[in-house]
Amino acid sequence: MDVTIKHKDVDRFVLDLLSSFDVIAPVARDGRFIFDKINSPSEVSAQYNTTILPPVKWLYPDNEKLLEFNLKDINSMKPVVQANKQVLTFIHPCDINAINIMDEVLAEEPADVNYLARRRASVIIGYECLKPCKEDNILCFDKGYHIAYKGYDLFFTDLGERYYVNVVTDAGMEIVNGYDYFIRAGYEDWLRLLKVREDRKKGFKKSVNGDMEMLSHVLKESYNDEIWAIEGKKCVSCGACNIVCPTCYCFDVADEVCPDMEEGSRHRKLDGCQLRGFCKVATGENFRKSAAERVRHRVFKKEVYLKKRFGKSGCVGCGRCIEHCIAKISIVEIFNHVMGR
Amino acid sequence: MGEETQKSNLVPMAATIVGIRQMTDKEKLFTVRLDNGNGFKHRPCQFVLISMFGIGEAPISISSPPVNSGNTFELCIRSIGNLTGAIHRSSVNDRIGIRGPYGNGFPLEKIEGKDILIIAGGLGLAPIRSLIKHVLNERGRYGRLILLIGAKRPEDILFKEEIAMWEEDHSIEMHVSVDIAAPSWKNHVGVITGLFKYITIDPLNTIAAVVGPPVMYRFVVKELLAKKMFEGNIFLDMERRMRCGIGKCGHCQINGIYLCQNGPVLSYLEARKLQEAL
Ligand SMILES: Cc1cc2nc3c(=O)[nH]c(=O)nc-3n(C[C@H](O)[C@H](O)[C@H](O)COP(=O)(O)OP(=O)(O)OC[C@H]3O[C@@H](n4cnc5c(N)ncnc54)[C@H](O)[C@@H]3O)c2cc1C
Ligand code: SF4
Ligand code: SF4
Ligand code: FES
Repeated sequence: MDVTIKHKDVDRFVLDLLSSFDVIAPVARDGRFIFDKINSPSEVSAQYNTTILPPVKWLYPDNEKLLEFNLKDINSMKPVVQANKQVLTFIHPCDINAINIMDEVLAEEPADVNYLARRRASVIIGYECLKPCKEDNILCFDKGYHIAYKGYDLFFTDLGERYYVNVVTDAGMEIVNGYDYFIRAGYEDWLRLLKVREDRKKGFKKSVNGDMEMLSHVLKESYNDEIWAIEGKKCVSCGACNIVCPTCYCFDVADEVCPDMEEGSRHRKLDGCQLRGFCKVATGENFRKSAAERVRHRVFKKEVYLKKRFGKSGCVGCGRCIEHCIAKISIVEIFNHVMGR
Repeated sequence: MGEETQKSNLVPMAATIVGIRQMTDKEKLFTVRLDNGNGFKHRPCQFVLISMFGIGEAPISISSPPVNSGNTFELCIRSIGNLTGAIHRSSVNDRIGIRGPYGNGFPLEKIEGKDILIIAGGLGLAPIRSLIKHVLNERGRYGRLILLIGAKRPEDILFKEEIAMWEEDHSIEMHVSVDIAAPSWKNHVGVITGLFKYITIDPLNTIAAVVGPPVMYRFVVKELLAKKMFEGNIFLDMERRMRCGIGKCGHCQINGIYLCQNGPVLSYLEARKLQEAL
């Protein structure tokens, strides 16, 4: 059963959520947007464009603690799995699709129990973007990732003075049942929703020329293309593209010890395949020495390897890696280059 | 703050160092026992992640054969950095952490009745010793055992006492070569591929296992193919950076595969399809 909620009631809704959950929401910061834990409804910016870091960082945080131990007695070591009850609110379809990809990747055995525990403890409220976040440098539409078919409990679409709320899961149902400002959606609301979605379609355009179904195949054929050397020359190997990507999950493991040299903990620190030492082993051998090889690997990982393993592209087309690359390296341009070969 | 007790795949088991043997100036052999008293089942060429608490983790091959006495296993470790340096400073009865075993290990089911040709360079002898000792333990199930062993200098050769025993064993054909040696060295001098001229093999009935520094593989494979071996019968035990062992951290990825899961042993037939492998 779907419902609607009036714009003016959304603050009350957020306030009510705050009484039972940690609430993660888009927040304006210095003219940009981030996802942050909020304390009051006034902090929320529902009308946002792509955030700097994706919301999935609240499910797969950097420096996540995995283990606590005492150096004097290692029998006391204790696995740490933290999972606060949290709601991720106003999540755009691309970022929901990224979470769906992470769900599959990290649930593959041997599963990542830390991620899965956080994921299970999280309610996801989707939010339909009615126009693309940016004019260009995104490719959500090319990939069909501007629509999310699953991965959320509730999904909000703005109908003007009220939101249409698609209720998908039991957890979502429980939430809307708890509050009387959610009103059962009627036929009129449904027709409005269809109209809004029809109009939305017109705003999106393709960024990559050609049939996206062929992209992974075309890339494979372009393994030795000159594009990798060209982009590799520009890349400064800063790893920013990895940090901002909602489907990058590579990590390193490192220990920290308190100054008393007794209590310690083990952490997972996010790593990036574009960094120079990512494939370097102790004997000094580096298995991806050049930036060209590393740029190619990043693109292939998303578009060829993940696609082969999970049947869908690992890039949701959010455009963050393009926006944050100081060398102006663009996967849209790379895709257009190989498709135009 | 909610906490779940479900055990993470990244959490080690407590273990104790029960023996330490100095092998060369850089390598020591550690005998390790899990504190939970459970035996340790592994295949040759599988590896574990060892934890030195307060420092971190590192992947280390299991050097002992699958069948073992007293629930212990052996790790031959070169001191080269933080973690390996720390374990070299530790003593018997010190506690460490163990995760694993990980990786596919050597495909034993494919080698029954076959001649086994092993080419091990440098520290590569550490993982492949597990296979050598397995074949020796079950000698009747295999054909010839041919060992080509290479090292930088005579003093770098690992498992010297065992090599001396293998020398005496007439069921083993062994050739050892070093890159540089004083005139008193009685064996071969030169790169490991120089040893191929001393052996003849039956290419249809031979399984080759290759392990050593990354540069070695291409040259050794070339020699094996020149001896008319089938690509699917050449097995390479490969190394990459590994941080998790469970196909997640991304470091060991070679094109579309994770070496910690699909490897560390790849047949040359598989490896040659991966542009990043060799
Ligand atoms: C499947 C597998 C099996 C293996 N089996 C064995 C085995 O049986 N025996 C064995 O000895 N090894 C084995 N290894 C290799 C072993 O894992 C490494 O030697 C080990 O991880 C090194 O860890 P470390 O902490 O001691 O070195 P690190 O501290 O990581 O240092 C390694 C090197 O990198 C340099 N370095 C470190 N940090 C930096 C930095 N920030 N910038 C620049 N340089 C830096 C150090 O100076 C040092 O030279 C295996 C590896 C794999 C993948
Ligand atoms: S690769 Fe770039 S566009 Fe694709 S999901 Fe990652 S950050 Fe977004
Ligand atoms: S953000 Fe740009 S310059 Fe930095 S590693 Fe990524 S591609 Fe290279
Ligand atoms: S070691 Fe982490 S993916 Fe293989």
